Amino acid sequence: MSFAVETYDLTKRYGNFRALDRLNIKIETSRIRVLLGPNGSGKTTFLHLISTVLRPSEGTASVLGYDIVRQQLQVRRLVAIAFQDPRGFWRHKPKHILSFHASMYGVREPERSKIVERTLKEFELWDSKDKKFMDLSGGQAKRLEVAKLFVSPPRLALLDEPTAMVDLDGKRLVWDKIKELSERGSTIIVATNEVREAEYLADKITIFSSGKDVVTDTLSNLKDSVRGGDVVDLEFAEPATSFVVEIIRTIPGTVGIIEVDPRHLRVSVTRSEDWLPIAVKHLQGVRIQSIHITEPSLDDIFMTIVKPRKSVA
Amino acid sequence: MNTYQISSLLMFDLREAFNSLLWVGYSWIYFLFQFFVYGSIISTLVVTVHNYFFYYGTGLVVLSTFNIASWSGRRFVEGAHEGRLRYILSLPIGRGEFFMEQLALGVIVNLIRTLPPVLIVLLLSGLFTPFSFVSTLAVITLLAIGIMGLMVSLSVIAFKSFDIYSAIVAALSALLIRFSTISYPISSMNELYARATLSNPIAYGADLLRRAIGLDNSLLLNASMATSVLVALAVGTIFLGIFFATKFVEGVKSS
Repeated sequence: MSFAVETYDLTKRYGNFRALDRLNIKIETSRIRVLLGPNGSGKTTFLHLISTVLRPSEGTASVLGYDIVRQQLQVRRLVAIAFQDPRGFWRHKPKHILSFHASMYGVREPERSKIVERTLKEFELWDSKDKKFMDLSGGQAKRLEVAKLFVSPPRLALLDEPTAMVDLDGKRLVWDKIKELSERGSTIIVATNEVREAEYLADKITIFSSGKDVVTDTLSNLKDSVRGGDVVDLEFAEPATSFVVEIIRTIPGTVGIIEVDPRHLRVSVTRSEDWLPIAVKHLQGVRIQSIHITEPSLDDIFMTIVKPRKSVA
Repeated sequence: MNTYQISSLLMFDLREAFNSLLWVGYSWIYFLFQFFVYGSIISTLVVTVHNYFFYYGTGLVVLSTFNIASWSGRRFVEGAHEGRLRYILSLPIGRGEFFMEQLALGVIVNLIRTLPPVLIVLLLSGLFTPFSFVSTLAVITLLAIGIMGLMVSLSVIAFKSFDIYSAIVAALSALLIRFSTISYPISSMNELYARATLSNPIAYGADLLRRAIGLDNSLLLNASMATSVLVALAVGTIFLGIFFATKFVEGVKSS
């Protein structure tokens, strides 16, 4: 498997504060990796380091085979970033901003004008193409920031909270465009603290906390990793006896049992897909009316993983 | 060198710099007012300098160049805090090339702003010749590169704090302008002031500009010395700026 990004003890310090602390992470090529973490967990610093906007205090990283300290220019030719809070071009118009961005990646006229027009339309910014940046709404400015990545698709696209300030329709538009970019072959890294965004986009999720990566896995593996994270609601035709409760307690993966009412048990289990066939086998002869499974949300996973660490810190 | 990318960035920056032509027009009006009203009054009082009216007008052009150089530095620092700098730093151009682009931007803005004042001084003084015009522009460009390089280099050092940068530039501006020949010749200064002025490159720039225009050179600093100082300033600050930009510039978390 090839990696678009590999970091080696990547560290960024501001005085005594370590914004990123000896990070060692690998991100697969042509996938969408979502970095999830609370504010100040080091996600943005990580994106700024691998886009060479910041210099590491210690360690380094390889981006698409180039070193971010020694081969900055080669890295910048292959990477583009959509920043968290797009600002600084107050008097420019969206069409000029996109045209400029494309020209910086070598897209020439007349092709450039066509690409800019198409991109503005795709991101529903065509009607605002002649407005000054300072007159755009927060959501429009954010969509414009993301749109920059589409006028010359980079091999590695970095997006920092791409849908912050964007309304619900806009969020779906941006997410679908990000997926489209991935399908066209770009490796995507999205930093967010929006769990829904992570669920929608991620091939893999890395959870950040206090400048370190805490865990990396697929969403389904992360869900499975939460002990007792799946909740199985069992409704019986008759009140569940203590014998039934005892059978359930002995099934591997059972973490807790709550009696909602005499005919309804709520069982917390690890990996319901393994637990349920065993439960059905063990409960043969017991009349079960319904089974309802609720998987843990990414919120639950996030809180399970991040909160205990924060409280320890 | 990424010529295409740098010229694209330069055009983008120029579009922003001249987005509002109001301030360009304002700077010309300011010059006219200062030159014709204040200059004519003060020149009747100053009798020790022959043709002080044009001596003063040339000083105003140097002052304008100095202000534009300060603007370039301030723009760089503001860009760092507004988020413009980190975007530029993410683009496929070298840090040194970016510094050179900023320098070119400052020089172009300076030329556009000082061209009408220079023409007014040359035409009204009756000293306009193709040679005086070209050599005047050459001196202004050299001076602009020198001051611009200095200001942008300073901004690179202080760009993490706008307050520090503003304080340094305010102090430096006060010293460089007062201890110079922008408004008065070195012969009118006492020994202490004159010594300080002789170590100030702006003084050499102002006097070289007056020589290029063709004003009475009896009160001016030595031409070859002034040329050497200006060239050294321009080349030195270019290297300094490229060094700082390459070694130290990085994105700043926008405020």
